[in-house]
Amino acid sequence: MRVDVRALGACNRLAERGAGQAAGALTDLTGTDLSVEVTGASVASGEDLAEAFAGRESIGVSVDLRGGLEGEAVLAFDADNVDALLSLLPGGASMGRSAVTEVGNIALGGFLDGWANYLGTAIDMTPPRYFEADGAAVLPDGALAGDGVFLFESRLDATTADLDFSIYMLPDSGKFRDLVVGKTAPAAAPGADGEAGNDGADSTAVPYESLSTFASLAKRGSANAADNIAMMTGLTTSVDVSRLRFVPLADVPAEVGVEPHAGTVFELQGEPSGYLAILFEEESAAKIAASMLPTEPDEPLGGMAENALCELGNVMTSGFIDGWANVLGTSITHSPPEFVHDIGSAAISPLVAKLSQRQDYGFVIDAAIRTEGVQARCDVYALPDERELTRALDRLSES
Amino acid sequence: MATRVLIADDSEFMRNLLREILEGEFEIVGEAENGVEAVNMYEEHGPDLVMMDIVMPIRDGIEATTEILEANPEATVIMCTSVGQEEKMKAAIKAGAEGYITKPFQKPNVLDAIGSAV
Repeated sequence: MRVDVRALGACNRLAERGAGQAAGALTDLTGTDLSVEVTGASVASGEDLAEAFAGRESIGVSVDLRGGLEGEAVLAFDADNVDALLSLLPGGASMGRSAVTEVGNIALGGFLDGWANYLGTAIDMTPPRYFEADGAAVLPDGALAGDGVFLFESRLDATTADLDFSIYMLPDSGKFRDLVVGKTAPAAAPGADGEAGNDGADSTAVPYESLSTFASLAKRGSANAADNIAMMTGLTTSVDVSRLRFVPLADVPAEVGVEPHAGTVFELQGEPSGYLAILFEEESAAKIAASMLPTEPDEPLGGMAENALCELGNVMTSGFIDGWANVLGTSITHSPPEFVHDIGSAAISPLVAKLSQRQDYGFVIDAAIRTEGVQARCDVYALPDERELTRALDRLSES
Repeated sequence: MATRVLIADDSEFMRNLLREILEGEFEIVGEAENGVEAVNMYEEHGPDLVMMDIVMPIRDGIEATTEILEANPEATVIMCTSVGQEEKMKAAIKAGAEGYITKPFQKPNVLDAIGSAV
C-alpha cells in the first residue's frame, strides 16, 4: 500500500474537526470550556505504543466502528480526573460508571460525525464499553498487535478543571486505506497550500512499509541520542517515548507547552532537510549542564552551561540523524547548534514557521529521554521536509 | 391528561437526565435499557411518545422504532442520540421517527422536539 501523506494530512484534519465536535459536546454537558489541544496520527508499532503509554492509568469507554469506517475508537480520561468530571455532571457523582460511559459515548459520537458526513455514509457505533485500564491497555485492541499502525490521537484540555482527556481511533484497513491512499481523500481546506486530495498524489505517496521502517529508524535515533547523553554526563538514560506522528505543524508549539525550556536547535541539510530541536525543561537543563561541568557554574544556565548544552546537542543530533542517513542512503548534515532558552512553544515556533512555508503538515518524531540519578527529561522534535522525506522513503522501498 | 412517555436508553445516567427534564410536565410510563425492552414496554404501556436512543445493545433504536411502527403506525418516536451523522438521521426518519435530538441536550431542546412531534 502506498500512503499519500497529503491525504493523511486531510484525514488528520477530519480527526481534528471531530475532536472539536467532541469538545463542544462535552462543553455543553459539563458547562466547562474544553478545547482541542493536539490531534495527530501516529505511525507506531505495538511495542512503541506500549512504551509510550506505560505508567498511565485511564478510565473511559471504547466502541467498535462498522459501516463507513471500521475499527475501534476509545475515549480515555486520566483516572485522577474522573472525580472532577463527575462533579460537573448533573447527578454525576452518584452515577459514576454510567455517567462516564455516557459522556464517552456522546463525545465519541461527536468525534465520528464529521468522518461519516464526509464519507456520505453512516458509521455504526456499538454501545460503549466502560473500562479502567493501565498503560497501553487503554488503546484499541489491534494497536498493540500491529507491526505498524495508524493511530489518531486527540488531546482535549479543559480551561477551568482537570478534565483533560484523549481520543484514540485505530481504523482498520479497507475503507480507511482508500482514504489514506488518496482514492477518497478529503478535499483540502481553502487556502491550505500544499494540501490536496487526489491532485498530485503520486508525488507524495510513500509505501506503507517504508513509513513503518522510518518509524523504527526514529526509535533507533532516539536510543542513540540517549546513549550520547549517558556518554557525556555519566548518567544512566532511557528513552521513554519515541513516536513518529503526522500532525498539523501549527499544533507543534502548543504541544511543547509554555513551561520554560533550554536546549539547542539545528537546521538539517541533505535529504531530508528540516529542523531538529533538543529541549530540556529548564530545571533539567541546569542539572544536565551541571553534570557535564567540572565545577558548579556561577549561573544555572549561564555561558558555561550554554556551551555544555550546545556540545551535548551536537553529539545527540549526530546520533539521531546518522541512522537516517545510513538507512536512507543519503547524506544529512546539520548546522552548528543554536542555543535557545525560552518558553517551550517560543523555542520551537521559529522552526515550525520556516517549515510551514513549505508544508502545513509534517512528520514529527518526538522522543522523551529520561535520566536516572538526577531527575531530568529531554524532548527531541525532528521536523523533516515532507517531500524530501517522501522521496527518500520511496527510494528505500525500491532498494 | 399528561402526555405519557417511554424512555429507551441503555445509559442509566441519560435515563435519569431525561426523567429529570420530563417529570412534572409528562408522565413517565417506563424506562427501557435496550431495543427489545422498548418494544415490549411499548406494547405493555401504549405510551403517547417514545424517547429512543439509537445506539443500544441487543436491538438498536432504529430497529426497535421500525418494529414499534409496524405494529402501531400511530406511534410517535423521537430519537435522542449522541450520533449526529446525516445518514444515521436519514435512517431514523426513514424508520418513522418524528424527529431527533442530539445529545447533549438542554431542556428547551427536548421540549421543543416533543412539542413539534406530539
